[in-house]
Amino acid sequence: MKSLWKTIGIAMLALALGMGVSVQGHAKKGKVILVGGIYDTTGPTSAVGIPYAAAGVAAEKYINQHGGVNGVPIKLIANDYGYKIPEAVALYKKYKDMGVPCIQGWGTGDTNALKTFITKDKIVYISASFDAHLDDPAKTPYNFFVGTSYSDQIRIAMQFIKETWTDKSRPPKVVFIYPDHPYGKNPIPAGKAMAKELGFEIGPDEIVGLRAIDATSQLLHMKEFNPDWAWIGGTTPSTAVILKDAAKLGLKTKFIINCWGMDEDLPKLAGEAANDRAYGMFNFAPFGADVPATKEIRSVIGDKQYTLHFNKEWVAMMVMWEAMKRVKGEITGPKLKAALETLRDFDTGGLTAPITFTPTDHRPNTKLAIYTIKDGKLTFVKWSEIPRAKKYLGW
Amino acid sequence: MPCGLFFENYKDDERIWKTRFARIWLIAFILFLLVAPFFTSKYVLYIMNVIGIFIIGAHGLNLLTGFTGQISLGHGAFMGVGAYASAILATKLHLPFIVCLPLAGLFTAGVGLIFGVPSLRIRGLYLAIATMAAQFIIEYAMRNWTSLTGGSAGLVVPPASIAGFSFDSDFRMYYLIFFFVVLATIYTKNITRTRPGRAFVAIRDRYLAAEMMGINLYKYRLLSFAISSFMVGVAGSLWAHYVQIISDEHFTIWLSIQYLAIVIIGGLGHVLGAIFGTIFMVVLPEVLRIPAQALSGHYPAIFAIFNSLRDGVFGLVIVLFLIFEPDGLADRWRVIKSYWKLWPFSY
Repeated sequence: MKSLWKTIGIAMLALALGMGVSVQGHAKKGKVILVGGIYDTTGPTSAVGIPYAAAGVAAEKYINQHGGVNGVPIKLIANDYGYKIPEAVALYKKYKDMGVPCIQGWGTGDTNALKTFITKDKIVYISASFDAHLDDPAKTPYNFFVGTSYSDQIRIAMQFIKETWTDKSRPPKVVFIYPDHPYGKNPIPAGKAMAKELGFEIGPDEIVGLRAIDATSQLLHMKEFNPDWAWIGGTTPSTAVILKDAAKLGLKTKFIINCWGMDEDLPKLAGEAANDRAYGMFNFAPFGADVPATKEIRSVIGDKQYTLHFNKEWVAMMVMWEAMKRVKGEITGPKLKAALETLRDFDTGGLTAPITFTPTDHRPNTKLAIYTIKDGKLTFVKWSEIPRAKKYLGW
Repeated sequence: MPCGLFFENYKDDERIWKTRFARIWLIAFILFLLVAPFFTSKYVLYIMNVIGIFIIGAHGLNLLTGFTGQISLGHGAFMGVGAYASAILATKLHLPFIVCLPLAGLFTAGVGLIFGVPSLRIRGLYLAIATMAAQFIIEYAMRNWTSLTGGSAGLVVPPASIAGFSFDSDFRMYYLIFFFVVLATIYTKNITRTRPGRAFVAIRDRYLAAEMMGINLYKYRLLSFAISSFMVGVAGSLWAHYVQIISDEHFTIWLSIQYLAIVIIGGLGHVLGAIFGTIFMVVLPEVLRIPAQALSGHYPAIFAIFNSLRDGVFGLVIVLFLIFEPDGLADRWRVIKSYWKLWPFSY
């Protein structure tokens, strides 16, 4: 018993020492630019969060190998928050305390939860959440993201359904499948408005959670309406479940999937069920695609294989780096924001459509590629875009 | 410091401060806590505030589980009820914080009462399941009653303000929370020394005997549920006005389990237990973050592994605690105290 306490004591001492060392590390921050990182590597979105976080660390290395920000290296403080809002708030306060000018964040729920603080504290927050509620600078001046927003994805999806619809006798029937979570729910009004505008028949929504292992009951219910198309706003594992169960039940429905629900892993997880049935909104190129940026990525990670979500954080870091280089003098939140808003058609090395931010519009772009799965392989279908219209801003 | 304590009557035995020495130390400790925010970083302050809020809730659950022996898996949701009640009163009816807080507590007490009714017929594991139902029903309401709760997007809550003084920073909030923590601790300590408190303990130890002694089980079980929910509701209200945004994600079954873990690790039926348990449960995950964060720069691959390990280590530490400290941290504290009391002449 006594020895146990001794061990615990020693462990605590070691930890305290470790803390001391890490604190010292921060004390020398005069010559580094701190960047906060809030990632999900253990929570319900970790399947797509792990490659994303890996890209943050890899991009940090790349940036520092290429001279940092005008000679000053950056230091990414990467932390996991398990997709829990209170943990994200704790990390946010920690980073704010360290005086970071910029945070690389993650989910829709937590980014929306933090937006009032972000605005008040003037810290640039680049989220992995492409929620359109974050792209109106009048409401959220310090929130940025680097891919076509969820709402624009769902609008493009509806537009794509319209374009491919050949039966003139009736309008297409659509259903929305999403998790009961801000990430899933937030773009749905935009999708429904667009579907209504295009004259589609809209069926009852189906809720499939991010950690679902079975969607049979939802799909059986959906089968009664028998939609031609269904939107899936989940992550890859839950999408695979839906596709497999749809194949099992013999549904004729085709699925159009948002940017976190379809990647290189989907054919592996869903197998046959994914073929000719799944269409993905690829606002980012697949991992290892034949684009200039792939060479840069390979220069730091070697032969390692990730999914396309890696590219998302890579681009987010590159955009941040570019803006930091444009800042004159010390990098602060407001200066970094102003620098980001000077980006015009910023080339991401082919990983996304060019990115533009202005002081009145934080939509990075409104254009993406649509992919499908043929014979177990991701296959390019076409580029698609919607106009950068004022009426689509902020929702 | 006396080398031993010798009480001649029950009044002495029930005194809060058994020796003058203990009183001096406690006053010194409170003074230390009062000046601490001037010297800590905001992050540490945030952790301290979270600890404070959870101590209030943990006192509530400890009263119910530790003292009355009624298990509840719904306290996470009850905290949510308090948070939402306060937020809705503040945003929709524009009531001042000083009114919202007690109303939120009362409303939560009412909800707790409703879900406490099954405790009259069922006990133990069955009560755990019944209160778990409360958790799911309330969670569902928080997520889907969109017109009232804002749905999954949550509600934005104004910072607490009393008579024009806004508690909008961690620093200011610290003192507000501190006040309520002290109040809740004194209240819990005192209630255990009163007639209802003794009735709670009698019900916990053997409800049949308690009933035969003339304790109204109906009344005291529900009273325990009500007081317990009131306290966790107040904690929820403070949380809402502190974090300034609430959503159903804060108040999941995980929070309920965390509350139970707090009182079990801290020591069931000890007022100090709730305090130690909360500190342990809030600080441990933050401490476990340090190695992952320190190593992530040097060994990128470790980052992902370490973070998954974090949850594992967290669970492991709890299991080890339950094996080696079955009576909780409060009991370990007692042992440490008695060791020093006789030092260096321990036997």
